[in-house]
Amino acid sequence: MMIDECGTERQSVLRSSIINSQFINHQFNMLGILTTLMFVAPEWVRRWTKEPRGNAFWAEFVLWPLIQILLVLFIVLTIVAYLVYLERKVSAFIQARLGPMRVGPWGLLQPAADGLKLLLKEDIIPLKADKAVFQIAPIISVVSALVVLAVIPWGAAWATIANINIGLLFVLAVSSVGVLGLVLAGWSSNSKYSLLGALRSSAQMVSYEIGMGLSIIGALMFARTLSMSGIIDAQQADGVWYVFFQPIGFLVYMVSALGETNRAPFDLPEAESELVAGYHTEYSGFRWALFFMAEYTGMIVTSAIAVTLFLGGWQFPGLNLITNKTVFAFVSIGVFAAKILVLIYLYMWFRWTWPRYRYDQLMDLGWKWMIPAGLANIVLTGIWYVLALPKSQGGLWGFMALKGDRLVPTKWGIAYFVATGFAVTIPIIWIVLASINRRSRDFNLHAQRQLQIKLRAERLQRHSEPAGESAS
Amino acid sequence: MQLHGWEAVLFYVLAFMTLIMAVFVISARIAVHSALFLISALVNVALIFILLRAEFVAGVQILVYVGGVMVLFLFVIMLVQTRAEEEAKVKLYTGQTKAVYVIAMLLAFSFIAAMRPAQSAFLSSDSANSTVTAADRGTTTGAGAGSLSEDTQKVGDALYRQAALPFEIASLLLLVAMVGAILLARGSKQEKLHE
Repeated sequence: MMIDECGTERQSVLRSSIINSQFINHQFNMLGILTTLMFVAPEWVRRWTKEPRGNAFWAEFVLWPLIQILLVLFIVLTIVAYLVYLERKVSAFIQARLGPMRVGPWGLLQPAADGLKLLLKEDIIPLKADKAVFQIAPIISVVSALVVLAVIPWGAAWATIANINIGLLFVLAVSSVGVLGLVLAGWSSNSKYSLLGALRSSAQMVSYEIGMGLSIIGALMFARTLSMSGIIDAQQADGVWYVFFQPIGFLVYMVSALGETNRAPFDLPEAESELVAGYHTEYSGFRWALFFMAEYTGMIVTSAIAVTLFLGGWQFPGLNLITNKTVFAFVSIGVFAAKILVLIYLYMWFRWTWPRYRYDQLMDLGWKWMIPAGLANIVLTGIWYVLALPKSQGGLWGFMALKGDRLVPTKWGIAYFVATGFAVTIPIIWIVLASINRRSRDFNLHAQRQLQIKLRAERLQRHSEPAGESAS
Repeated sequence: MQLHGWEAVLFYVLAFMTLIMAVFVISARIAVHSALFLISALVNVALIFILLRAEFVAGVQILVYVGGVMVLFLFVIMLVQTRAEEEAKVKLYTGQTKAVYVIAMLLAFSFIAAMRPAQSAFLSSDSANSTVTAADRGTTTGAGAGSLSEDTQKVGDALYRQAALPFEIASLLLLVAMVGAILLARGSKQEKLHE
């Protein structure tokens, strides 16, 4: 009896201790995840929520991320609205017009007027459309564009919502889901133009995704991490922006990003002069606005990746002179935004400068030029990297040194990588592409016209020959 | 069971959703709807991978299956689609119920047989720590699991060092398949045009 009681008592103590330790372990586990997942909240948030007044855990890991998410959404969506305004202004100035001028000073209230108009418009769903899919498609498009904003390093310290290990992979994966929105929108509209737009977009975006994936690998060899903040830190440690190591990678990335976001000159899915706006022909009002929002958010996201991976993120020479932490964070956000805006201005410039590609030219550019260039860039970068390893690791010249647990190029190493990137990689890839495409007539309009003339002459001859025989 | 707390809740919700979506895939009348349900099932599987602290695999799952394979599926479905009214007349089930029972039983039996030895691997050899799941092991070093884990590095190490030969063989196989597909797709008209 006694023994039994003792036994159960001991058992219960043991169990409670296990449960206790499990509980602590679990809570510690949660904390561990959250502290490394979320960037630490700024000092004033922690001071404001100290124990007597509130719960620091909730403030730092629930309240602060929510504030961050709301801020990022609000700012990005406002910027998206003003990008439309900017696009109209840029196109106007390129065409020697004024652009929107009537609503507000210099037309600055135009985005608000546009938004109001789109909200008040009638929401039409075609009778023969697949209603459920028709309604889901714009939501898929916009959600996949907005989710990505969570992992982008907007600035130093507290300005990043989440820093995850697979950051760049996450961005590519989630933004690749955006194609589904376009495809489903085109199919569900039950319209020929929409379906054609959807077919074009699915083929185009799948092909350009490959080029995009290949172009980033060269830079990742130097960064040795997929975490977005980690890539920026790596560029700071190496002391150089990766665009100087990877000129070809940057070029391929920018072209692929244009194709991925369906911007001109690759705007075939919505080619307004051929397909009457393609996949969103049947959409109106707010659903159409969602597609628009997704497109411009996609521009911001692809530019943000380019800035993070190739242009040093929020780093800028001389930024470290600022000692005040708060000022530093705000300035870093400003630097990041300025770099993104430069790239977006480039996008707009391209749109109003270059004519739209033909569909076969688009596919040829993707498969015969961008993908081979990306592959060759990976191989060449790998060779340069292995040759530059420290002599203890089998390198030839020892242009890299171990700093902590990371290989960092020395001063000679930086010069070596920049020189090989520009002076050797570019000519080699040029020769490779020229020899692959030496017989192709993709961009040779003269040869294409000659081919058509030759074929037509043959056809005419074939038709005229039997006629001539019968006449004689 | 080894699952506890929110992990268990999440796992059961995700597993249940995956199964429900899989049932919808075969019961949907329109092919595009089936594809949509398949996408949701694949996303649920990716979330289970995240629960297992395999973020790299989860990311690749979404990138390859949802962003690549399913888009090509939809591409093909849209090219060969029949009218929705005609699809509504198609009989979904062929009525071979007896064969279905037998196959389902066999499948359930093989699942149980496969899971029983595998389950013991999840149990820690130390009996006091029997409640520690595979997911918790990442925390023994003090680093938060799921955060900046070494998952990507581990996958890379395994693929390019320990399994380099099978990896190369698989990639060669894919290359052969790709060349074959291009050869089949290339018609005689294109050959003539090229000359």
